[in-house]
Amino acid sequence: MSDEQTLREPDERPEPGTAAEGTGGDETGGQRAEGAASGNGPDSAVQESQEPAADGGAAAERAAEDRVANGRRRLLNGLWPPRLSRAQLIVAVLLFVLGLGLAIQVRTTSDNGALRGARQEDLVRILTELDNRSQRLQDEKRGLESQRSQLETSSNQAAEALKQTQQKEAQLGILAGTVKAEGAGITLTITDRHGGVQADSLLDTLQELRAAGAEAIQIDDVRVVADTYFTQGADGVLIDGHKLSQPYVFKVIGNPQDLEPALNIPGGVVQTLEKEQATADVVRSQKIVVDALRPSKQPDYARSSQ
Amino acid sequence: MIAVLGLVVGVVVGLVLRPVVPSGVEPYLPIAVVAALDAVFGGLRAMLDGIFDDKVFVVSFLSNVVVAALIVFLGDKLGVGAQLSTGVVVVLGIRIFSNAAAIRRHVFRA
Repeated sequence: MSDEQTLREPDERPEPGTAAEGTGGDETGGQRAEGAASGNGPDSAVQESQEPAADGGAAAERAAEDRVANGRRRLLNGLWPPRLSRAQLIVAVLLFVLGLGLAIQVRTTSDNGALRGARQEDLVRILTELDNRSQRLQDEKRGLESQRSQLETSSNQAAEALKQTQQKEAQLGILAGTVKAEGAGITLTITDRHGGVQADSLLDTLQELRAAGAEAIQIDDVRVVADTYFTQGADGVLIDGHKLSQPYVFKVIGNPQDLEPALNIPGGVVQTLEKEQATADVVRSQKIVVDALRPSKQPDYARSSQ
Repeated sequence: MIAVLGLVVGVVVGLVLRPVVPSGVEPYLPIAVVAALDAVFGGLRAMLDGIFDDKVFVVSFLSNVVVAALIVFLGDKLGVGAQLSTGVVVVLGIRIFSNAAAIRRHVFRA
């Protein structure tokens, strides 16, 4: 409406009074309608005819306002004082039914969950979900039961593992030289009267024995292990820093039928030693006792990675 | 006033007496309640507009309830009960909202 006002204003400027009246009438629909009704000069009548839509809108607005006021009044009248009319009674009966249904529905919904008011397809869906859930739980139960039985039998497994570990420890102890060992094997005695046998010959002998499957070796009173070394001293051969005394006696546990031929093969250890003016004597035995021990040594840096 | 009393009495009776609804009717009760609510709001609006007529109200109330229940029943038979009841609730909800807006304009003049 204010847009119309600004558009219209230049035309009406020559007659200030009319323009003023027009602007005044625009403020509220009710006021301007009154102005028009009082017949305030021809100009104002012309103005009214120029904007019939605005006038109609104003009238409708007023009617709506009246109706609103009437509606409120009617509501209050209906509420108070209570009147026993046919309409009131009928509406009361229907509202009673509504309240009943409302209460029942609310109670039903809050009473026993979703199942009571649920429709058939919902029930079917719920049933399927429950079936799936029970299936899952059954699977889980089965898995747990098998786990339990595994745990029950694993006490035997643990005992077995312990036994195996002890066996392994004994084997490793033999290899590391921390336990005594006995078994079939040979005794190799090297007698070197001329001092021709050097450390390298003894090392060759040892390697030959190892290659032939020797499991535990003792030279004189020194247990031979992985880090055993020979050195050539000024007056003889040292093994692991100990002076070896003549004759050199190798006590070797292993299969005698492998060990003896390994030493005696042509070009082998025995022949080589004989070239050095030494005598090598191999004697098989069913019981060789390797009783020299090594202290078990905890490694400083290496740790078991298992 | 008596109408409001009727509503209150209905709620109280429903809560106190705990009447048992036959299981065949049970799925249609919520829809029927929503339809009745729609009719009540429509009636209230008509009263505020000054065009309230008790006969129209009774007819609209009952027909609302019956038609809503019928639609849901039909939907159940056709296998689209859940969707149709959702649709009915949506439509009735829209109507309730528009009626409530009219009532609000009357009561608060806003």
